[in-house]
Amino acid sequence: MSVMTYSEALNEAHRMAMRDDERVFVIGQDIGQYGGIYRVTEGLLAEFGKARVLDTPISEAAVTGASVGAALLGCRPILEIGFVDFVGTCWDQIVNQAAKYRYVSGGRASVPMVIRTACGAGLNYGVHHSQSLEAWFAHTPGLKVVMPATPADAKGLLLSAVEDDDPVVFFEHKLLYAMKEEVPEGKALVPLGKAKVRRRGKDVTIVAWSRAVHWALSAAEAVAAEDIDCEVIDLRTLVPFDETAVVDAVQRTGRLIVCHEACLTGGFGGEIIARIMERAFDWLDAPPVRVAAPDIPVPSSPPLEAIYLRPQTTLTDAIRTVVVSERH
Amino acid sequence: MPRRTWGWKMFTGSRTKKGKAMREITYREAVHEAILEEMRRDSRVILMGEDVGPFGGLTGVTIGLIDEFGADRVLETPISECGFVGAAVGAALKGMRPILELGLADVILVAMDQIVNTAAKMNYFYNGRASVPLVCRVWSGFRPSGGPQQSQSNEAMFAHVPGLKVVMPSTPYDVKGLLKASIRDDNPVIFFEPKGVYSLEGPVPDEDYVVELGIAEVKREGRDVTVIALGAMVPLALAAADKLAQDISVEVVDPRTIRPLDVATLVKSVKKTGRAVIVHEANTTGGVGGEIAAVLADDAFASLRAPIKRIGAMETPIPVSPALGSAVVPGESNIVDTVRALIQDTSPS
Amino acid sequence: MSLSPEDLVEMYRKLLLIRCFEEVAFRLAQEGKFANYHGGLGQEAIPVGVCHGLASSDMTMITHRGLGVLIARGVTVKAVMAGLYAKAPSPTLGRTPIYHMAEPSLGILAGTSMVGSGIPLATGAALATKLTRRNDVTISFFGDGAVNRGDFHEGLNLAAVWNLPIVFFCENNFYAKSMPLAKSTAGGSILARAYGYGIPGRLVDGNDVVAVLKATQEAVLRARGGEGPTLIECETYRWTPHSTAGDREFARTAEELAEWKARCPVKRLQKRLLEKGHATREQLKKLDQGIKAEVQEAVAFAETAPYAAADVGLENVYR
Repeated sequence: MSVMTYSEALNEAHRMAMRDDERVFVIGQDIGQYGGIYRVTEGLLAEFGKARVLDTPISEAAVTGASVGAALLGCRPILEIGFVDFVGTCWDQIVNQAAKYRYVSGGRASVPMVIRTACGAGLNYGVHHSQSLEAWFAHTPGLKVVMPATPADAKGLLLSAVEDDDPVVFFEHKLLYAMKEEVPEGKALVPLGKAKVRRRGKDVTIVAWSRAVHWALSAAEAVAAEDIDCEVIDLRTLVPFDETAVVDAVQRTGRLIVCHEACLTGGFGGEIIARIMERAFDWLDAPPVRVAAPDIPVPSSPPLEAIYLRPQTTLTDAIRTVVVSERH
Repeated sequence: MPRRTWGWKMFTGSRTKKGKAMREITYREAVHEAILEEMRRDSRVILMGEDVGPFGGLTGVTIGLIDEFGADRVLETPISECGFVGAAVGAALKGMRPILELGLADVILVAMDQIVNTAAKMNYFYNGRASVPLVCRVWSGFRPSGGPQQSQSNEAMFAHVPGLKVVMPSTPYDVKGLLKASIRDDNPVIFFEPKGVYSLEGPVPDEDYVVELGIAEVKREGRDVTVIALGAMVPLALAAADKLAQDISVEVVDPRTIRPLDVATLVKSVKKTGRAVIVHEANTTGGVGGEIAAVLADDAFASLRAPIKRIGAMETPIPVSPALGSAVVPGESNIVDTVRALIQDTSPS
Repeated sequence: MSLSPEDLVEMYRKLLLIRCFEEVAFRLAQEGKFANYHGGLGQEAIPVGVCHGLASSDMTMITHRGLGVLIARGVTVKAVMAGLYAKAPSPTLGRTPIYHMAEPSLGILAGTSMVGSGIPLATGAALATKLTRRNDVTISFFGDGAVNRGDFHEGLNLAAVWNLPIVFFCENNFYAKSMPLAKSTAGGSILARAYGYGIPGRLVDGNDVVAVLKATQEAVLRARGGEGPTLIECETYRWTPHSTAGDREFARTAEELAEWKARCPVKRLQKRLLEKGHATREQLKKLDQGIKAEVQEAVAFAETAPYAAADVGLENVYR
């Protein structure tokens, strides 16, 4: 084990993947010489050279399409889209091309690419550099969606994502890059599609992912003093969704809160609530609840951005309400 | 324009004040009339898109418009979605009211950045001093042989974006009224015209009328279960209700507007029946059904006697073979089977 | 149009104002007073030269680096500084970065952060002008980084095919963030792309404010006269990194920076003013002092201004 930051863990995963498999290459804006906006690809150009670390012009549609094309012919690109807010510029390539090739080729072709992108607010970066859009990707059959909340998971899930033969969209919350923790050495893969119970509890299940996991853990600590025992589940992967883990938890606690940073309406929280309403309805002792951002663009100034980030401060109240709610 | 009735006729029993039966036109004709009438009503309304001039548009709804309004108001564009969507936003901010024909819903994704990062957010940047009165019309959903890149129903993506409105009418009456209302709305509206209802015939008044955005409609009253259906699933839900009518009384609710969702009407219905089935063409995971289930869980939980069921397309792209395609998207029998099973499995209250 | 001494002095005043603003803003950003700043230090001749050639009804679409244009068009430094601090007196109320501000009375169109995505928006503004038979002209600003985006191609093509009253203005500072032009742009010339759309292209020394003005006036005249778009490529250089959010320099060298600093647009106009006797050293010194005071006042104003109330963040999502 060694202590490292989330971005260092990602850097290490890149190196391991690229050393092990010469088909893996990295592509994106300012990822080579510059080392990436978040330093995730630092040093890769020096180690692997220009043929495997490709700096591109600002041409997202072409670069994404080219990555898909290369993947179809046997390469394994790791594409960096610096901010998920930019994904609209190459959305057609992701949804209409990357996600569909395995299907339309009758399984004979596949697109083993990883699209890494940074999401999230909290740095006052404003409307176009702070969004969380994972719900779009989760709605697109053919894509897998991963959102690690810790350095160890970041490393392990990126290694797994690179080895996956399907397109994996890998979300990194900007405020997690500096997070430090002990990370297993070597090629410690974390499987896709498996949630992790971060805190066991009996009174209410909080399902979260990415930065919201940490909000959930803080909230759980805060209410522990009031004798409320929260279970926190870190989904880690949105698609494929670990339904068993969530259903199992709801069966044990009888109460569910889904907490995410993205806007409430149309967020992935709806999907989770819907699944539980279908599969675990009889175990619910109270209505399930979502805690998410209001339906607004992400504002810039600190107090205004704070209202967007309301889950951070309202989650404890939601917990207190849910634990005393009843079915009827 | 050729009339094809594809399986279903919609009778709502509407009559004009004089007691004469209201004329029946197709969904396609209703779209055409809405555009025509709004362009006559407001000279700021312009139409943009590929082949919208003499060719008459992808679905034939713009036939004749360039002859009446000229090339200054019916602008044929190159294949340049980012370009002309962006241009439409820019023009809208300067007082025009563009209707964009974007073709297949699959294609609107090419212009996603312009829609989500500019159209949806400009009102916020302008502090309300200017807005984007834009209507992006798309032809969505399944039809046989369309295939993966011509059959998508991607309303859920747009329904997640603050600043956008999302509409999906299912009848000729609704589409004309909602399209007019959307054109008159000062916000960007993504307007879904499902392929499955395009040839449907239904009564449409002669006189001017609008259907306000944000208002759902109970298309059929019932007592035992609420089926909330979107777009092309509405006639299927009504047919299923007919089939079940002997022993199960099905209420069919059509949200009509997906964002903003008329939560009150949906909740009222589910509180009455105690059971909910949601059906849409889009694949289930991450679809609008999730949002609807979540708001029902919020506001109608105590009334629910059974789990909420969702029916959507399977988690695959839509296949091109008609047989496979029909197997992947929801059909009338899926709705019948799901409702029957739900009634049988109802948990004791 | 010939330039009077008063014109030149006014242009100098604006150059100095933007220069001072940029220096102060960059320093404040480095001190952490506000998030991420995309400085335009060294590129001042472009906003000043272009905007001097515009009528107030003409429209400008800027990029994230375009605060100089806002100032040149008449937004007060107080307002722009409040914008950087995201305070309540900001034209965007602190909801969005200041480069998204709109001010219809000054012809300022709201911009977008996506590199290149503003180009079709500007094309749309020009489309509206043509359809409503007005005679304003739209200036679409973008950097060298934008010219490889699909939106650049589509926006220029549309404007050319529809013969719109627009000037496409590329501020080529030779680097996107860290990517040099030579490595990103096939054909090596931004100007040459104009020919692909059948529109004229002009290459201009972007650090010569008079040359920038003249090129702008020519293109605006063409556009207003119904002759359609022009692409102007202005060569310039930014003295600061792409932005202050953890920026490292690799490709750019100290020598290159020194070469460009020697072509400082402010110094060049100053020299001309003094040589031609349009102003004395004393007058320019006084101007400088006044401007420094104005900018400092703007900083004090922004620092002490309150943030907008939280509810403001929830407003104007829909009309």
